[in-house]
Amino acid sequence: MTAASGFSVLRPATLAEAVAAAAMPGAVPIGGATALQLDWAAGAARPGLLVDLTRCAALSGSGVEPDGGLRIGAAARLAALEHDPHAAAGAPLLLAALRSVAAPPIRTRATLGGNIAGRTGCLIPALLALDAALVLASAAGERTVPLAAWLAAPPAAGEIVVAVLLPKPSPRRVETARKIGRRAAFTPSVIGVAASLDIGPDGRIGAARLAVGGGPNRPRRLAESEALLVGCDVGAADWHALRGALLEEIDAADDGWRSRSYRRRVAAHAIVAGLGGAFPPHPGPLPAGGERGQGRALPVKGVRAEDRAIPLPLAGEGRVRALPEEVEVSHRSLGDRWRIRPDVQAKVEGGFRYLTEHRAPDMLIGRILRAGRPHARIRAIDVGAAEALPGVRAVVTAADVKGENAFGIVVQDQPALAADRVRFAGEPVAALAAVDAATAERALSLIRVDYEDLPVVTDPEAALAEDAPRVHEGGNLLTDLHFVRGDLAGAWEGCAHIVEATYLTPRQMHGFMETEGGFARPELDGGLSVFAGGQYALRDRMQLARILGLPEEKIRVVTSPTGGAFGGKDELTVQPALALLALKSGRPVRLQLDRAESVLSGWKRHPMTIRMRTGCDAAGRLVAQQVDVVADAGAYASLGPGVLETALEHACGPYGIPHVETRGRLVYTNNGLCGAFRGFGANQMTYAIECQIGRLAERAGLDPFEMRRRALRRPGTPGYLGQTVGPSERLDEMLAAAEASALWAAPRGLSGDGAMITGIGFAMNYQGTGLGSIPPDPGGGRLALAPDGKIEAAFGFDEMGQGALAMIQAVVAGALGCDRDDVRPIVGDTALTPESGSTTAARATFVAWKTARTAGPALAADLVAAAALRLGRDPADLAVAPGGIRDRRANDAAPLIGFAELAASLDPLPQASAAFEFPKTDYTRGNARFLFISGATLARVAIDRVTGMVRVTDIEQHAAAGPIVDPAGYLGQIEGGAVQGLGFTLTEDMRTSGGVFLEKNLDQYLMPSIADAPERMTTFALEDLDPGDPFGPRGVGELGIGAVTPAIAAAIADATGLWPATTPIAPEAVLDALEGAG
Amino acid sequence: MNETVRFTLNGADAVFDGPAGTTLLDLLREEHGLMAAKPGCGIGRCGACLVLVDGAPANACLVMAFQLDGAAVVSAEGLDRLPVAAAIRAALVDENAFQCGYCAPGFTVALAALFTADRDADEAAIRAALEGNLCRCTGYHSILRGALAAAARLREAPSP
Repeated sequence: MTAASGFSVLRPATLAEAVAAAAMPGAVPIGGATALQLDWAAGAARPGLLVDLTRCAALSGSGVEPDGGLRIGAAARLAALEHDPHAAAGAPLLLAALRSVAAPPIRTRATLGGNIAGRTGCLIPALLALDAALVLASAAGERTVPLAAWLAAPPAAGEIVVAVLLPKPSPRRVETARKIGRRAAFTPSVIGVAASLDIGPDGRIGAARLAVGGGPNRPRRLAESEALLVGCDVGAADWHALRGALLEEIDAADDGWRSRSYRRRVAAHAIVAGLGGAFPPHPGPLPAGGERGQGRALPVKGVRAEDRAIPLPLAGEGRVRALPEEVEVSHRSLGDRWRIRPDVQAKVEGGFRYLTEHRAPDMLIGRILRAGRPHARIRAIDVGAAEALPGVRAVVTAADVKGENAFGIVVQDQPALAADRVRFAGEPVAALAAVDAATAERALSLIRVDYEDLPVVTDPEAALAEDAPRVHEGGNLLTDLHFVRGDLAGAWEGCAHIVEATYLTPRQMHGFMETEGGFARPELDGGLSVFAGGQYALRDRMQLARILGLPEEKIRVVTSPTGGAFGGKDELTVQPALALLALKSGRPVRLQLDRAESVLSGWKRHPMTIRMRTGCDAAGRLVAQQVDVVADAGAYASLGPGVLETALEHACGPYGIPHVETRGRLVYTNNGLCGAFRGFGANQMTYAIECQIGRLAERAGLDPFEMRRRALRRPGTPGYLGQTVGPSERLDEMLAAAEASALWAAPRGLSGDGAMITGIGFAMNYQGTGLGSIPPDPGGGRLALAPDGKIEAAFGFDEMGQGALAMIQAVVAGALGCDRDDVRPIVGDTALTPESGSTTAARATFVAWKTARTAGPALAADLVAAAALRLGRDPADLAVAPGGIRDRRANDAAPLIGFAELAASLDPLPQASAAFEFPKTDYTRGNARFLFISGATLARVAIDRVTGMVRVTDIEQHAAAGPIVDPAGYLGQIEGGAVQGLGFTLTEDMRTSGGVFLEKNLDQYLMPSIADAPERMTTFALEDLDPGDPFGPRGVGELGIGAVTPAIAAAIADATGLWPATTPIAPEAVLDALEGAG
Repeated sequence: MNETVRFTLNGADAVFDGPAGTTLLDLLREEHGLMAAKPGCGIGRCGACLVLVDGAPANACLVMAFQLDGAAVVSAEGLDRLPVAAAIRAALVDENAFQCGYCAPGFTVALAALFTADRDADEAAIRAALEGNLCRCTGYHSILRGALAAAARLREAPSP
């Protein structure tokens, strides 16, 4: 909802007009204008006059000049150049570089001149290597200047780029161009390189043009390195000397994402390798390609030879070794069970409506004023000017909060609108509603807040100090958890191997594609309806009632459908502002955060520092473990205490360790907000514990499977906290499945061309489901025959994309015997749906299944009885069937009476409900889970020897979570979780400085693109349950993300010997490991 | 400043008279009620607002009104005009390619542009064409399977 800026536009048709326009005061010449929104978002001044050069004939076209050179008009679109025959023939290097610029939909608009004019464009290194010249025009006339010289001089005002001239290429050349980024595609440039060598008939290098540039790096030729090459035989160039010269000569920027020295190194490596020279040196022998991984012990410092000589008592003996009966979860292999989800067609066609997309003629536009500073006292808020602006219908501040100005799922420590203090930069201070977006934006700028800045608390460890500034009056320590079992101090004595490491995990952003938003509407009865994407409508209603001072029954909350959540919409987001504005204005109000505001104000994953010390005996049996976690809570609690508790509950993974001590502290800071996020602390801890086991396996000289076989908990034994756990544990089976995997036997080591080193890793996955033994964890639902003959299945949980609707149809149809299309799911609406609990913790599948199993037979009996009465038949002869009620014994499945006809004859219509608690364990000294699901994840990586960047080529997941309810939903959760986990592992971190996020939008915060997704992903499911297991299908929403990180880490260790302990994993650290500098 | 621009939208003549900097995304959603193009980032980095401008995929959040004069705009709602659209949509549906679906129209537009230009696009070409579209739910493989299934359908179907 960008308010249009008030510039004028000129569209010159001739060069003279273009030059005249560009010379006008404040004029900004533009090509495709694809960077303008980015620049404006970054704070660039909005121009008064844009000069659109794309309609100027003199700047278009390309062709071969009389001297054989190539002339390309500056207004040429990059995508068009990709298919330009002249460019293909005369400048293949440029074509290669073009494909690394932004992404296809940008290249259809962006122009060559635009890429050059900003001096940061990704094409400049290639153009320098091609010895390009620019034709420039200004009021002073036209001139032609070598690109290198133009770059060296300050920009000339009013001068426009008319064309690019590329000299006729030498018939024999060696060329390379490469952009190094932060992810595989559509990435900001870390550094770009290009090189072109003209080779004479004698094989000697006649001319050498080497260049760097891109992004923050000053684009330039590398004259000294070039001089080293000229005159050399191209087949006998001294690549070692060239690398040294390049490292000396290349200057690069340091913008915090990658260091200057990293950029230098990768640029030098890329030029040398690209020209056919050697890859960077590697200490010792490279791992040979194609080695079978089984039992491969990497050389690790400090392993005593005698450790391996000790005979190993095989604790694994007698455990299940037979391969489990898994199915591959795919459309191909489960074709007869594959169903199309009910909402996907409308989504593909674009007709599906989200809650942010409702429009009504009298709807106002809401906006929220954010603090913009991480920690401050509010001295005064003056909304007078905003209120006085015509078109503004309501402005609300803390003074308008009639109830408690405090919310939070666990602790109510967060104001709906800040009253006297702000604790994070995105904190809402005021909100307003106006008749249109432009008025709302203008009014927002008229609100005056007088702040007194307070010391900013940024480091959770420092925040624990007695004299640290306080984020909340009660101190910064929000949660402190401690658990001890056995005798840790004595236990270390018995350890033959001890590994100790500190794991750092990132502030990951949920990155749901639909940002927070929706609308609220006052109702005629004095009540209020709030429609905003969420994960638990009843709880949102309870929290809103508390804030608004209204009875809950006066509020309707609708939370579905929503465009992704992943935990990030579990807590309230924009609902309080929407509700306050609708009540004060008496009008419907809509609001959707733009991405920058969502980034600033939204929930994130808790960054954790996990110190872990783990020991095993000489036989590889785990003996002792000590864990200390410090987690950044951000400014308010939300579900943070639960996240920390869950992390600690998974501190030993699926392993039995007799002597343990865990401590966890959750600490308030001014670093934005942290809350629920898929995995809920368990995936961070799984990363740490699985890496510890992998390291110990190396020390003990065991392969990773044997190490785990000796350590896995035994089914039926108490859980980590001593609690009773549920049946159908499948850890041994998951281990066996991973060990037998074809992926584990895939080639590893050096790739054929020497450019990559591949490695394969594996990790176990063990995840509790449900909220645990302490918090209320209600489940339930309602099944009813609707007047139109549909079986309505109403649940209070939400459709966030995960496939709740298809899942409901499957379980209800399965329980009743009707068709899935007979079932109409209704979700996430306090007016229509009953208590089902939250849409979190992989619990909805169980809740729906249990409801269908409980209420289904009752409804079926009612339907059959009603039909029997109507048909004059014995109910015992009838059964529910697709479409209606059929004769139980007839071969013909056609119903004797359809559901619609049956419904028309009934008043009241039959319905049946269920209400129950999610299965809980007996342990209440701490929060403990009862139902755990198991899995195993394998990852194969290819590590680029030039950049140290990790590309995940394969992910194979094995999951044991009971029967698959809906194959597409199951597969989607596992695959989607995997790639979200891949982002956590390789590219995603919301970094902070002084309590301010450094990443503002999706140009800097890099979620995986399709180019980062693995080449192959395979998912297997083990569906069986123990005989008599009453708990049915478990949800897999959190399983997919669970063990991806440690599997990738183990694969990197396999390839390089480095166990990365910080995610996202820095390519520089991997490069260091490859080059032996670590 | 206000501009008057004439263009076609899903085949019909359209006129816009308003601020030159109004984005095509706002124009589609708020002036024409066409909601398939979604606001995802506002800076051309997610592809949720992809539309076709003169047949080429473009981020509607980056295209401003003044750039539309004389252009032919096709939004996801108007893809029926392209002979490849039916096969692409059907294949994406069959593979349950999307979850929350907020990115779905953008991906569909990108694929429609790709297959219109090259019916024989292979997996590498499909991946390259989708580099400008982010999806957070699926991990991309269901979309890729849908696109490959679409390619197979298009190979079997007679060329228009």
